[in-house]
Formats: sequence, structure tokens, C-alpha cells
Amino acid sequence: MTTGNPAATDPIWVDEILLRGRSADICLRLPEPVDRGSLRRLVAEAQTRLAAAGLRPGGAAALRLPPSLAYVVNLLATWRSGAQAILLDHRLTDHEVDRALQRLAPQVVVAPIRTGGGGLRVFVDVTEGVTAYADRPAVSGHAVIQLSSGSTGPSKVIGRTADDLVAEVHRYTRVDGVALPGERIILLPSMVHVLGLVGGLLYGLHAGVELVPPQRLAGDAVLAAIAADDSPATVLGVPFHIGLLASTRPAGPLPQFRRMTTGGELVPAAVARAFADRYGVPLGNMYGMTEVGVIGTDLHGRHRPSITPAPGVEVREVDGELWVSCPASPYVGLSDPTRWADGWLRTRDAGTVDPGTRLVTVRGRLDSQVSVGGLKVDLTEVEATVAALPGVAAAVVVFDGAVTAYVQPDGPLSEQTLDELLAERLAGYKRPRTLRLVDQLPRTTTGKLVRSVDALRTAAT
Amino acid sequence: MAGQPDLGRADLVTMLADLSGKPSAEVGARIGSMELAWLVHLVEQRHDRRLDLTDDQLAAIRTVDDALAVFRTALTAAADG
Repeated sequence: MTTGNPAATDPIWVDEILLRGRSADICLRLPEPVDRGSLRRLVAEAQTRLAAAGLRPGGAAALRLPPSLAYVVNLLATWRSGAQAILLDHRLTDHEVDRALQRLAPQVVVAPIRTGGGGLRVFVDVTEGVTAYADRPAVSGHAVIQLSSGSTGPSKVIGRTADDLVAEVHRYTRVDGVALPGERIILLPSMVHVLGLVGGLLYGLHAGVELVPPQRLAGDAVLAAIAADDSPATVLGVPFHIGLLASTRPAGPLPQFRRMTTGGELVPAAVARAFADRYGVPLGNMYGMTEVGVIGTDLHGRHRPSITPAPGVEVREVDGELWVSCPASPYVGLSDPTRWADGWLRTRDAGTVDPGTRLVTVRGRLDSQVSVGGLKVDLTEVEATVAALPGVAAAVVVFDGAVTAYVQPDGPLSEQTLDELLAERLAGYKRPRTLRLVDQLPRTTTGKLVRSVDALRTAAT
Repeated sequence: MAGQPDLGRADLVTMLADLSGKPSAEVGARIGSMELAWLVHLVEQRHDRRLDLTDDQLAAIRTVDDALAVFRTALTAAADG
């Protein structure tokens, strides 16, 4: 085991890489335009509020905010204060957040006091509050801390340095097919997670690409966002969003629609075809991980499902697993040598690397992680949570197109009770879509729980 | 409702089956935010109108049956309005 604790970076990178540029240039359209001058002013004001609540250089601020201007501003203000940003998905439960805060001990927590806007909003109108939490320095010198659903119970803590984030932003500038300065990104993925954070927000701010979240999460709203301006538009999303667009009838031609790019999981061929038939624009594909950001791309959709490694990234295949170059361990605290060692991150993705073309083909996970709408969910975390609930004797959680839990109670237990207990402990996207109570879970002759979906279904009937 | 038959539970289950790539018989009763967004989107496409649901209405939807009740109310209100 090794510890990874890099030194903090001079906060000047925020101004040089993200906030530099003409004051009048539009950074965000929400749909009201937010220009770079206004963004700089809002960030400076937020720095004052964060400092007043106790944030100091070398400390950390936890951001528990939905996608919003408040999130963007407080993230940049945290970094510009020389502090670490701990990104907490706003869908996490109080239970999950409390556990993360106890572990990471930020100096301040930024959370909404009031949120507004209609249902299914992609960007939310937030008034935020800043509260003091702990009077301790950050757990590491990383600029950003993200949590990933963990196979050993609580979430994995992943850190990325400012240098690493800047390197990824520069990597994007060298990828053929990304939105160019003066163009727009119609932004659908959450900016708390790596695709929306670096591929959307940070790259957009750096390159002078306008970021345009649709008014709400619906196909017609995405098309309206594309049509709202004449400049070329790239839709950034996850495969779920391809389905939204493929099932929407456009009211007219959209000559400014240049490309849709998705990451997060493999796109079924039928979905890709339906999208191509309707829009006739390239459907690009990206492969990345929270630990390292973008690993490879196929933004012209020419090699589907394969991707070309991003500039500066090396990918190799070791015993059927993909390894990616990663100079330092991305894990905070003790680092597991079976996940990272000697400059290589084991992705836990099965895959191949073509020795001639260097094309990488991802075949699927080698562990218990699945993707739900582009968000990683570790079935082991879900199973451990279900099994630890009062009234549960044993549980097996499987993925059969959706997260399904088979539960053996040790007394009277209703599905509704289980559902309510889980709602307190697991974010919605991690929760089982189907709960099946069974008198006795199937076990092997040595007493181990059986994980075969067929055997579980039989036991539940 | 623009010539559309009444929305039934089976319609929603079929929509969820399309999303997950599973047979309708295997669609779970519970839905998360992504499934809900998918259902709202498809119901709006099918009925060619916006449902205009509030955050509170959406937050109260935990199952396919919850969704059906809220959608029917919203479609009726839209037709009346």
C-alpha cells in the first residue's frame, strides 16, 4: 500500500486556464447569458463568502449543489481560494453525505437554501448557503475530490490535482471533433462527474465554447437549445440522451447541429442507428474514468465501438484487462496496488488494444460495477447496504438490465419498508428497481449465496 | 387527447421496456429519475403536449403506478385547459 498526497497547486491556474479571456464573451446561457466578466465578479464574491465561513488556502469546501450557476461559481471560487473542492452529487442521501463529510472533514459545506425552476430542470436556480464544518486542512493536495461507488462498502475517494485537470483540458484541445472556440456545447451530463466537469465545464471555459444546458431534460428542449442560435452546436451526453433525441420529431432542419458525443457506457447499435437515421450527424463516443478523465475518443463515429487513445494517453491490454497510463495514484490515503501501481491504472474494464491501429475496444466490466444512466454503481455497495438493513437476513443484488435485489428477511418485512429504509441510505440511481422478497435465497452446497439470475428468479417464484 | 387513446399502465411499462431493453414482463415497479424523465418525454411526444409537472409532483413518483396517476391528472388538466 502507498499513500498518495500530492502538494497543492498555486491557484493562479484558475485565472490562467479557465477565466482568461474577453469580459464580454458569453460563457454560459441559462438561458440568460453569463459573460466572462460577470463570472469573474461572481467568483470573487463567492470567495469572500467562503472565506467568511472559514475556508482558507489548503482547506477544503464540500459542494453539495445540483447543476447550477451557484455550483460553477463556488467550484471556481474554492479553487481560486487555494482550496480543495469535494464534489458531492446532490442526489446522495444525508446518510451518504454525512459519511463522506466525516471522512473528508471540509472546512465549509456549500448547499442550497432554496432551489427553483420547474420539474426535470437540467440546470437549477439555486440560492446557496455556506456553513462551517471542521477546522482542519484538506486530506490531500488534490484540487478536486470525487466519490465513486465502491466495491468495499463506502465510496472510493478519488483525487485529481490541478495539474492533472489542466492536462486533461489541454488533451481535449488536441482531440479532433470537439466543439471549437465560438461554438456551443449543449450540456446534459452532470458537472459533478468527470465528463460534464472536464469535457463540458472546464474545457468550455478554457476554449471559449458557450455552455448551454437545455431548459429541461426532454428531447424537444435539447432541440430548442440547438436551434436557439446559429453557431455550431455539439450535444454532450450519455447514451440515455441519444434515446431522448432519437425519439423526438424535430420541427424543422437543424443545420447548426454538428455532432452528438456521449460517454459513460456502450451505446447499443440499434440506438445509434435510430439516431443516425433521424439526424444524420456524427455520433461520437468517448471512454473515460473518474480517476483519469478522458482516455480515448471516436468523435466521428468511424470506429464504433472502438476508440483511439487521447493525445498523451497510453492504453495497454494485460491479461484481457485495459490498463491506462496514470502517473500518480488517484486514490486518497491508502492506495490499493491491485488498482494502481508503477504509473498504470487497472481500469477493471475487459478489452483489447489492436497492435497495429492502437484502437481500443472496451468489452465490459470485470468487476461488479454497472452504469446507470452514465453513473457508476457498484453492486457490492448496494448489496452491502441492503444486507445491513434491519430485518434482512441476506441479500443478493444483480444487474439484469436494471439493479434488482433479492432479499431474505429474518422476520416480518414488507417491500415498502425496505424501500423506505433504502431511500434513506442510497441515492436514487443506486437503488434497486425491483425488490424481491424470498423465504430462502439459493446457496451452494458450501453455503455461499448463488448469484445466477436464473436461480434467483426461480427462488422468487 | 389529440386522438390518442387513454394512457394505460401497459403503455408506461412498454416505454420502460424500450429504455432497458428488457421484456415488459421483467420491468420493475420502481422508477428512478432517469426512467421518470424518459416516461415524461415519451408521454409528451405521444400526446403532443407538455405535462408541466412540478418538482413536488415528480418527487412524489416512486413507482409506475404513481407515474400513471400523475400523468393522467396532468393530461386531463391540459385537455380541460
